[in-house]
Amino acid sequence: MAVLKVGILSCSGEECLGGTISRLATRKVLEEMTMVDTVTLCLPLYNAGGTEERNFASAFPTISVDGCDKLCAKRSTEKYSGRINGSIDVSKIIGNENALNTRIIRNIDLEEEHYQMVDEVAVEIVKAIGTLDPDSFSGKTFRGCGCGG
Amino acid sequence: MQMSNKVKVIPCSGIGKVFGLVAREATLKTVLELCPEKSETVCLAYIVTGDEEVKERMSGSVCITVDGCPKMCASKNVSLSGGVVVDEVKVLDTVRDHKGKNFGSATELSDDGYLVADEIAARIEKRIHEIL
Repeated sequence: MAVLKVGILSCSGEECLGGTISRLATRKVLEEMTMVDTVTLCLPLYNAGGTEERNFASAFPTISVDGCDKLCAKRSTEKYSGRINGSIDVSKIIGNENALNTRIIRNIDLEEEHYQMVDEVAVEIVKAIGTLDPDSFSGKTFRGCGCGG
Repeated sequence: MQMSNKVKVIPCSGIGKVFGLVAREATLKTVLELCPEKSETVCLAYIVTGDEEVKERMSGSVCITVDGCPKMCASKNVSLSGGVVVDEVKVLDTVRDHKGKNFGSATELSDDGYLVADEIAARIEKRIHEIL
């Protein structure tokens, strides 16, 4: 029987805290969610990879996770790969001031309050997965990612 | 738009393996701690969008890319955006000197992972001082 999978794409933005939170929340869901199999892709592979990477959103129902309202992961996926099934804007969850914090970005600088933000965003990702039509879950295989697992 | 003459240090931040996080942490140590006056970063995801605003920001700018795997996503995307890549840092080149160590995961680095990130950051810092 094919394993059903959902794709989660994080912006991982390096310029602000929102990117760090988006990355860690995505990692948390990838590592801890057991009800549904999840898979990710390094966003820059849309340009640096090949056709297989660009097939990501057509191979999997995909949820984007963006750290700020530029929504780079959502827009890039729609531009290069296909329709997005759900979109999380981290700045709407943790507030713009937190999301656009340019001083605390490194993992090593995070404190308890930031890990609570990670948990809040992870919950929203799980909720978004819960709204997907079960028929859209993919059982397809995907071998296009060297780094994205 | 006022153009920055700081060196742009841009990591792949690969999300699937530890070396992407090493690239990210090394870059952030460089731009936030070691060389904040001479360097900055730009979200690679923003570069990937191909927006005119980010192309304008990248066009002709001096860049150092930091990649965690041989796909060289940071280097390729920065070049596509008009940035001038003067140095391609490959995490795997440094990791080779630390065989047998556990670097942590793509979620969190171990002490040895931070050690490698710090070593790479020191090399990038040196390169930035050579450039500016």
